[in-house]
Amino acid sequence: MATTAVTSAGIASEAPRSDFGRILAQRERRFAAALLAPAFLALLATTTFPLLFLVYTSAFRMDLAMPFTNGFVGFENYQVLLSDDRFWTSLLVSLVYTGSTVALQVIIGLALALLVMDMKRGQGWFRVIAILPVVLSPAVVGMIWRTFMLAPEFGIVDFLAINAGLGSKNWLGDPTLAMVSVIAIHTWQWTPFAFMVLLASLASLPEDIYEAARLDRASAWQRFRRITLPLLRPAIVMVIIMRTMVALTAFAAIFTVTAGGPGTATEILNLYAYRKSFTELSIGYGSALAVALLIVTIIISGILFAMRRAK
Amino acid sequence: MSGQGQVSFRNIVKLHGQFAALKNVNFDIKPGEFFALLGPSGSGKSTTLRILAGLDAPTTGRVMIDDKDVTSTDARDRDIAMVFQSYALYPHMTVAENIAFPLEMAKLPKSEIAPAVKDAARKVKIDHLLDRKPGQLSGGQQQRCALARAIVRKARLFLLDEPLSNLDAKLRLETRAELKKLQRSLGVTAVYVTHDQEEAMTLADRMAVFMSGEIQQVGTPAEVFARPNSIDIAGFIGNPPMNLVPARYVDGDVIIAGHRLKTTATTAVERDVVVGLRPGALRMTEGGLGARVDLIEDLGDTAVLDLDCAGTMIRMRVADGNIPGEGDTISITARPQDIHLFDPATRMRL
Ligand SMILES: Nc1ncnc2c1ncn2[C@@H]1O[C@H](COP(=O)(O)OP(=O)(O)OP(=O)(O)O)[C@@H](O)[C@H]1O
Ligand SMILES: [Mg+2]
Repeated sequence: MATTAVTSAGIASEAPRSDFGRILAQRERRFAAALLAPAFLALLATTTFPLLFLVYTSAFRMDLAMPFTNGFVGFENYQVLLSDDRFWTSLLVSLVYTGSTVALQVIIGLALALLVMDMKRGQGWFRVIAILPVVLSPAVVGMIWRTFMLAPEFGIVDFLAINAGLGSKNWLGDPTLAMVSVIAIHTWQWTPFAFMVLLASLASLPEDIYEAARLDRASAWQRFRRITLPLLRPAIVMVIIMRTMVALTAFAAIFTVTAGGPGTATEILNLYAYRKSFTELSIGYGSALAVALLIVTIIISGILFAMRRAK
Repeated sequence: MSGQGQVSFRNIVKLHGQFAALKNVNFDIKPGEFFALLGPSGSGKSTTLRILAGLDAPTTGRVMIDDKDVTSTDARDRDIAMVFQSYALYPHMTVAENIAFPLEMAKLPKSEIAPAVKDAARKVKIDHLLDRKPGQLSGGQQQRCALARAIVRKARLFLLDEPLSNLDAKLRLETRAELKKLQRSLGVTAVYVTHDQEEAMTLADRMAVFMSGEIQQVGTPAEVFARPNSIDIAGFIGNPPMNLVPARYVDGDVIIAGHRLKTTATTAVERDVVVGLRPGALRMTEGGLGARVDLIEDLGDTAVLDLDCAGTMIRMRVADGNIPGEGDTISITARPQDIHLFDPATRMRL
């Protein structure tokens, strides 16, 4: 539309050229659409459709244990959800889990990146070793921690705790310690990701501005606060967004380590939805929980993206 | 805090692995002096400046500022302002914030910072760009912003690494004059890196000429121009630079292409020499050295002639209205005191 308006209002001698340009652009657009169509359809089939089906399911009572009660219930599942204490607890657990793991990943990752940047030798080795946890499957990581690290007496962490005079702890049996443990596990696995991104971003900062800042008499702390941090901001926000999405929907590591227990101490919302759907076989209510998680995720990512755009 | 700004380099060597960027550099700068480091690209000028600023440490040697050994003093504590060859502006700050940064670090009250920033920006003519980020400025505007950030602080030493290289000819002349005035009025010592010999000649009180990691001559621009120390300096300074012609010295005369010229320069014995002749010191006379005019470059008020003297190329500057035609044969000479002699083996002045 805009192109036509410009063309007709434009200088007459320019008309043939811009006409030609418009046809070209149109052809290009059609070609692009043809190229995109398969991917678009695949995306539609694998994400949009299941999502809509999920929302649809959440409006039904679908109880595989009591099939005779099944039927359309409208918003009933959501009404139940709002007064379900276990939902609110799991939401809180999700938020604590997400908030603390993301904060820890960014802080530790940034500290490591700053340290490694100053290393004269061995940077390459450090990167290779650091990336190892990331390439492991979360389920494997869960198993490693449950057996190698946290097992009473023999696990490395427990062994260290005993030697540090803290005594053997029931790392996965005590509600608070279990929460600390799953947070530590997630942080252990994913901090290298934050570290790699921030290191790459740090390495791309020009060196001369730090020299200028030194001559301008900025202390090391001022250089970090006034130069490094603002320049890393886009990378940090990006890491926060990506890691928040993942932490909100974390599953395998917690499932293999505590399965949400003891009790519901480490039961994040995702896990609750899973248990409801596939252990208690209440699929309609499980879907409602999943939709609630989706809404929470959308709200939080909305806030984060708004933060990204803000100055 | 701004002290004197006296600088001494004592036997400074800088190695990058096997490569010697600086080989035993010595010089002294007097307080309040405008000192230029002149030399071709890669000769070690920036290296010298960085060592003086404390951004790099010399491999051996001492750096003294105001009679204090600062070789191992951190850059932060040297009270030095610098304009980087690469500008080094803070990309996330506006021009105003960039200029204000050194003042904020010095913990100046806000009420003093704002007018100081305005003032510095006005001096380099970027006061209309204060709200822009460096990425939104042209190269020359960025360079002036870097300049403003350096002059806003009254440091005892003011280092400039080719600060005018990106300005257009007119702005360069204006800023050059402004810089000189500024340095005079502040009374600070300025060390100015350039590979533009005209810039060094016009700005500097004294200059050091660098050649591949060594200082070959220190002196006032007039001295260096009048008596270049070596063949390399002779071939670097002046526009166009000095003609360097192989010749033979015999008993108070030099013989160039079979022609004898009297010279006041003397050397003990008959020997091979390299004769240096400024293009502007050559004259057309009867009975001089015969030369054919190959090419004429007319510069408006003067012209530069490329002459062929029996196979040797000699350039000569002549005033307008006195220009022969291309292909003409002319005869040239030089006054005895305008003939410089160099040793072809050591490349030094005789
Ligand atoms: N980090 C380094 N490693 C190896 N060689 C270096 C390093 N830094 C500089 N050099 C070398 O030292 C020499 C002097 O460099 P310097 O930057 O001082 O030159 P310069 O005189 O400032 O040149 P220009 O006019 O091009 O800026 C150059 O040959 C350069 O290649
Ligand atoms: Mg340089």
